[in-house]
Amino acid sequence: MIAAANTSYLARIRPGWKFGALLILSIALYLISSWSVLLALFIISIAILLSARVDLRQLRLPLISMAIILSVVFVLLGIQTDWLNALRAVLRLLTMCLLAYAVSLTTKFEDMLELFQQVASPLRLVGGNPAQIALALSMTIRFIPELKKVYVEVREAQHARGLGNNPLAVTVPLVIRSLKIAEETAEALDARGYDSAPSPRQH
Amino acid sequence: MELPSIRLENVSVRYDDRVALRELSISLNEQRIGVIGANGAGKSTLSRLLNGLVLPTDGTVHIGDLNTRQHSKQIRREVGFVFQNPANQIIMPIVSDDIAFGLKNLSMPKSERHQRVAQTLNELNISHLADRESHTLSGGEQQMVALASVLAMRPQTIIFDEPTTMLDLRNRLAFQREIAKLSQRAIVVTHDLEILEDFERVLVITDGTVAFDGAPAEAIAHYRQWSHA
Repeated sequence: MIAAANTSYLARIRPGWKFGALLILSIALYLISSWSVLLALFIISIAILLSARVDLRQLRLPLISMAIILSVVFVLLGIQTDWLNALRAVLRLLTMCLLAYAVSLTTKFEDMLELFQQVASPLRLVGGNPAQIALALSMTIRFIPELKKVYVEVREAQHARGLGNNPLAVTVPLVIRSLKIAEETAEALDARGYDSAPSPRQH
Repeated sequence: MELPSIRLENVSVRYDDRVALRELSISLNEQRIGVIGANGAGKSTLSRLLNGLVLPTDGTVHIGDLNTRQHSKQIRREVGFVFQNPANQIIMPIVSDDIAFGLKNLSMPKSERHQRVAQTLNELNISHLADRESHTLSGGEQQMVALASVLAMRPQTIIFDEPTTMLDLRNRLAFQREIAKLSQRAIVVTHDLEILEDFERVLVITDGTVAFDGAPAEAIAHYRQWSHA
């Protein structure tokens, strides 16, 4: 999920501060054992998310998925340990997820990548290239929906030929088309002057 | 804007044992140039030679004083390329970030970059797409974003490789209007012969050679005749 244009107070806070605070809060949540404090923090996280003026429609599906997963976690933990412990675990996870949504949906993707490059800059010492890793990360996010489209197209075509349930009939064209996309994208990177050498200065 | 001359001197391109272009010597100085021909005739190879994406097996390609073999980096700044399938040309998940991608590679300062992106989006009347996720764009919108990402680099020449193949009529006409408005040189490889009506020069490529080189009407007539033969 990527941030749309957000103009809330959270969007004006520097990404480094936001992600740093999220990291510290996430660790702190595991040091708190009182369910009432955890409940209060959960309510605060809801308030933060609502006040961040994010598009709640964008959150509908992830929240439904999260609710299903956490329900399973709650039941399993409740059966294996005790119900209060299960409640604490679920409250912690819910608070963390809501805060993570509030941070990521109020931070521009470009700023997140820059932050990632700064955090990963020590990798240069061992020959890593943070700019390249950041590009790979952003391209992964960019092309997942494209590959999903290709998968749907291939599956429909194979269904039309009566091969819908044959995994090989779907996998082979999917791999071939993915390679074709990779080839064309590499050519586009080249045409757009992408230089894989680390730039002397990052803005 | 004074446009650099593009010169191909005795250019041949071979892929393993297949000859894609043979001993081509042409000079391109016009502002609107079309390239037509059958599938596999060598059109795409020719277009890719002009910004150094493909290097000649024999011969040389010059853009002004620059040689594609020696100055590929500078040439890619001066010669932009719009691909047939814009979905694979858009690299970043957000439209404005994608348009800024090439500028970032030039180490342009952030404020200047943002200004250039906004200006380019405005020129193409697509400012409303700035914060959209790339995969949610329609085919026509993707093609406009691909053009914006090239225009943001302020190239002197733009090569279009079958730019309207994946567009409906409305988007095709809109894209055609944008090409007509460009102050840059446009070299358009296409099967869409209507686009070429107002062009100054059209090359017909057949079996890796220039079979006809002249005004659009004559070139199209020549191509039709060849296709019916």
